[in-house]
Amino acid sequence: MGRARELVRYSATRLGLAPLMLWLIATLVFLLLRVAPGDPVDAVLGSRAPADAKAEMRARLGLDQSLFDQYWHYLQGLFQGDLGQALINQEPVRSIINRTLPASLELSVIALIAAAIIGLSIGFSGIARPEGKIDLSGRLYGLGTYALPPFWVAMLLQLLFAVSLGWLPVGGRFPPSLLPPDGSGFYLFDCLRSGDWTGLRGTIRHLILPAGTLALLLSGTFTTALRLNLRRTLRNDYVEAARSRGLTERQVILRHGLPNALLPVLTIAGITVASLIGGALLIEVTFSWPGIALRLQEAINQRDYPVVQGIVVVIAALVVLVSVAVDLLVAALDPRIRY
Amino acid sequence: MKSDQIQFQCGLLRVASTLLFAFAQVACQPPANQSRLTVASLGKISSLDPAQASTLGTTQLLSALGDTLYRLDQQGELTPRLASSAPEISDNGLTISIPLRRDVLFHDGSHFDAEAMAFSIRRFLDIGTLSYVVGDRIAAVEVASRYRLVLKLNRPSTSLEGLLTSVNLTPISPKAYLNYKDRFLHDRFVGTGPYKLTSFSEHQQRLEPFQNYWDTQPSNDGLDLITLSNSTALFGALTSGEVDVLLSASIDEDQRHALHNMAQRGQLHEGRGPAMGIGYVTLLSNVEPLNDRKLRQALALSLDRLEISKRVSYGLRQPLQSLVPPSLPGGNRPSWPSHNPEAARSLLRESGYCNGRVLSIPLTFRTNVPADKLFALTWQAQVQRDLPDCMNITLDGVESTTVYRQLGEGAFKAVMLDWRGSYPDPEAYLTPLLSCLKANGEICLEGEAAISGSFWSTPGLQNTLRSSDVLRGKARLDPLHRLEDLTAEGSAYIPVWLETPRAWSQTSISQPRFDGSGRVRLNQLRRMD
Repeated sequence: MGRARELVRYSATRLGLAPLMLWLIATLVFLLLRVAPGDPVDAVLGSRAPADAKAEMRARLGLDQSLFDQYWHYLQGLFQGDLGQALINQEPVRSIINRTLPASLELSVIALIAAAIIGLSIGFSGIARPEGKIDLSGRLYGLGTYALPPFWVAMLLQLLFAVSLGWLPVGGRFPPSLLPPDGSGFYLFDCLRSGDWTGLRGTIRHLILPAGTLALLLSGTFTTALRLNLRRTLRNDYVEAARSRGLTERQVILRHGLPNALLPVLTIAGITVASLIGGALLIEVTFSWPGIALRLQEAINQRDYPVVQGIVVVIAALVVLVSVAVDLLVAALDPRIRY
Repeated sequence: MKSDQIQFQCGLLRVASTLLFAFAQVACQPPANQSRLTVASLGKISSLDPAQASTLGTTQLLSALGDTLYRLDQQGELTPRLASSAPEISDNGLTISIPLRRDVLFHDGSHFDAEAMAFSIRRFLDIGTLSYVVGDRIAAVEVASRYRLVLKLNRPSTSLEGLLTSVNLTPISPKAYLNYKDRFLHDRFVGTGPYKLTSFSEHQQRLEPFQNYWDTQPSNDGLDLITLSNSTALFGALTSGEVDVLLSASIDEDQRHALHNMAQRGQLHEGRGPAMGIGYVTLLSNVEPLNDRKLRQALALSLDRLEISKRVSYGLRQPLQSLVPPSLPGGNRPSWPSHNPEAARSLLRESGYCNGRVLSIPLTFRTNVPADKLFALTWQAQVQRDLPDCMNITLDGVESTTVYRQLGEGAFKAVMLDWRGSYPDPEAYLTPLLSCLKANGEICLEGEAAISGSFWSTPGLQNTLRSSDVLRGKARLDPLHRLEDLTAEGSAYIPVWLETPRAWSQTSISQPRFDGSGRVRLNQLRRMD
């Protein structure tokens, strides 16, 4: 079987398993929410609302149906792309996700790019002299940033740059005195597209602290991964062969070492961005970033079942899709991989 | 190899310099629009519909966007706003006639009149999530003439006047809400207030002065309201000068204290409103061991409110010995006993404790309310200090959504809660805790007292509660005091503290002022030259 056919078959298998994983996740979320204490009707009407008003709302929301019926309707809705409405304000869950997901994606992608630049630069800078001062500093940096508690770093940076120095805003996503740009919800892109330079500057100012904190915390992973992979790669026979052919050390590293060492880093980057979308909660809470993780936390507190279900399913879908995409990309780039 | 390394390091240095330059460019604070004010508070605004408003943030925002028929001034007096004079009450107390102003416009240009007011009240009664606060008191809402509204009541109700100051009854434009008669409109608001809403999101709202406002124009050129997700961010935003005004009842105690101290040093302005929020402990009175009234009374006597206030809030939360806030009728008289461990010990002995038998009470606190945990720890330590051989308190933290869900199921022997009446009247504090539809002796089987988690009632209580809402003026004080005394005697609730709303502004901004309902008068905030 040709490599291309094998790759197609592998892709089909991975993509075919994705719906099964999503179904499992959706089912688990549905059941866990119903087991959790707390009544969504109380959250909307208050515990003192009259029993008939509560019963009416329970019927309107379908919460008076059997668990199986509720589950069946939930799956039907999911299948049709209908994620339902928020219980608290009847806003379609889809529009909540449309509003909050771009904020989280913008934060995650910028943080990831910054983390990759910082982490890879530090990881790469020590390779010229293994076990030298720069290499040792890189190792310490990698371990240190990985071990730092996110909320602590976030609060320290917030205290220093926003409260004490007053250089950057404490929280939020856009200057309060300006109207957020219309468009995709990715403010950097929207401001650039509309030529709103004041808005762009405001967006960048608001992004620096949360994205910088995330980048700082993630960069150590890149540093360690690159450093370890590069060192292992440079000990391979084909690298020795390249050296013996008379290539300079720079050529050896850049042409033979780095491309091979970067493949595992690509996998790490993919998994990181996927997990960041829903996993940057502490950063979003600390910096009042109106992203999907913060919205998920609010919805859990309010027992807003449709919002929690919708957001978890979308995050899970993104994680699954990004993981599959990264696997396929690595498989396509690395001829050694067998399917 | 060495030159490669130097080249690489130079490259890194160049990148770092460029980044630093770019950072310096964006880090400079952009010039603020001097005429507008940025006001910050905690938590998001999910809905702007007055029929659904319940959070402090929402009612504060709606009070800037709309007017009510009446407002309580700082002295607690009812002041006409959209009404042109005081309500006229019939001799039998069953009809309230309200004359309305004739010069009021909604933000959409339509006229405010009795039809609009009736539309708003009827809509609240039909779909309002808090419509139960009106209960069965209003029989009909009638339009007597274009500028006269008549409320027909099922029974005389003194507290209804206080209800007319409620933000939930803020009039909305029937024209704008034509398609929302029987459902909520969450992201828009068309009222008659000094500001109109020009942009809304859950975390940010933009308000512009309404040029055709019937009363004095706002003292500022508009407001940008932002909500941040935690107390530390709010504190930082105010102290760094990023926001002009901070409104928050939910800011952590340490930060509230720090802001209070800064205001005392002249680094900020602090405004204080009438204390309308009460903190109290509910005791489960229908099962052992707290079905023994003496034990409940002993618990009440073991509480040193003054020390708790100092330890938890640096004295910023006033000790409270009544269920009704002191600023309201009937609330300025301490009915619950002060700290007296010896009296507590004596009661515990009478119930068979202290002689080698220790009463253990599990106290539940809400984990997402920092002050609750501090209170619980302090009370536990007080009991350990004063009554170690008689009683001990064990702590149990539960998230607030779960607490409210399980309260009416009798899940908590003792639980710390808080309450803020929907309108400034004793009725809004007493009925939600004491009203009972079906009782058996001292046990409430059905009604608010059961929902509140105490399941407590006592013979004569319901009649006194009803009579307190019929009488007026000084005559009303007697049943109100009797209610408090009966409840203190039963000790199913233990008032702990009173929360005073505060707001802080930069020294370049005028001092925040509150109305009698505990809301900041946003239209009076101004930048001082």
